[in-house]
Amino acid sequence: MTFRACSQEPDILAAAADGRALPAPLAAHLASCPSCREQVVAVTFLRVLAAAPVASHPLPDPSVIWWKAQLTRRWQAERAASAPIERMRWVELAAGFASLAVFLAWQWQGLLNLAARVVPAGVAAASSAPQVLSPTALMLITIGTASVGAMILAALHRRLGGAP
Amino acid sequence: MAEHAATLDAGDVGAQEADAGASAELLNETEFQDLYRLHARPLWAYLYRLTGNTADADDLLQEAFCRMLATRLTTREDGQLRAYLFRVATNAATDLWRRGGRTRRREEPLTDESAGAVHDREGAALKLDMARTFRDLQPQERMLLWLAHVEGSEHREIASALGLRAASVPVLLFRARRKLAGLLRKKGYGPGERP
Repeated sequence: MTFRACSQEPDILAAAADGRALPAPLAAHLASCPSCREQVVAVTFLRVLAAAPVASHPLPDPSVIWWKAQLTRRWQAERAASAPIERMRWVELAAGFASLAVFLAWQWQGLLNLAARVVPAGVAAASSAPQVLSPTALMLITIGTASVGAMILAALHRRLGGAP
Repeated sequence: MAEHAATLDAGDVGAQEADAGASAELLNETEFQDLYRLHARPLWAYLYRLTGNTADADDLLQEAFCRMLATRLTTREDGQLRAYLFRVATNAATDLWRRGGRTRRREEPLTDESAGAVHDREGAALKLDMARTFRDLQPQERMLLWLAHVEGSEHREIASALGLRAASVPVLLFRARRKLAGLLRKKGYGPGERP
């Protein structure tokens, strides 16, 4: 539908909305303009509908609304105050993982030596050099260390109240 | 409530809590009670005409006032506060429609009483018919028409309340009036006759 409003329409609608009588030139225009007549019918209808009383329904109690708003504000203030703490929990978790990575990188050789002493002889013998771990042993140690580290950090995070 | 605040066009009435100036204040309880006494009934009537449901109208009314109470207001002028309330309520109603059928209740059947019964039977039937005709419009058309022609809101305000471009409002209003006139014509209230 193309939008082609009549140039007289705003004045005619303003008069119809207020229930005012139209000046003679506008009344003459209205008589000859079907589009304006259609628009006036709609506006007049709205004016009458708005004046009609609606259902005699009791309104919500304003004191309930007041207290609801106060509670919501308090809750929002609490949430705003605890937001930095929530953010810090994620920082702690990231710092935990970073520390674990640094520790592993720093003590890697020592851990390998320790593991070489602990791992059963059969697994170690699979490797050509006696001081170097087999790929299987290395994988086991890595997975085990990562799992233990992740469990500790997750437990720590849960204890601090963050999401599990 | 906070997520809704972002969609509001605070204009010159409300300022968000975060960037509120020194002159922007929350309403106190007495101011709120006065405001409620003055504007709750017409606002409820608007919301009831929009939703066709007393429970939704109640919820939206509460939501609108709660949002207003959470906003620091830069004015206490009645006309501006009323316009602001209607805008907030329209936003809340739009949110309700966007959420769709999950939370929205069905429109209640209109009765003489819910349509605003008048004492004579003929008048009651006419009012009922008018209320039904208005319900035949789409929600956005109802909002547009009510805000423009009952509340007398400016196109800019309507655009802000409905999330439209200001330039689209006159076109949509024209079409909504035309559709309403068409519905009225079908019911025998042709141009020239008073509904």
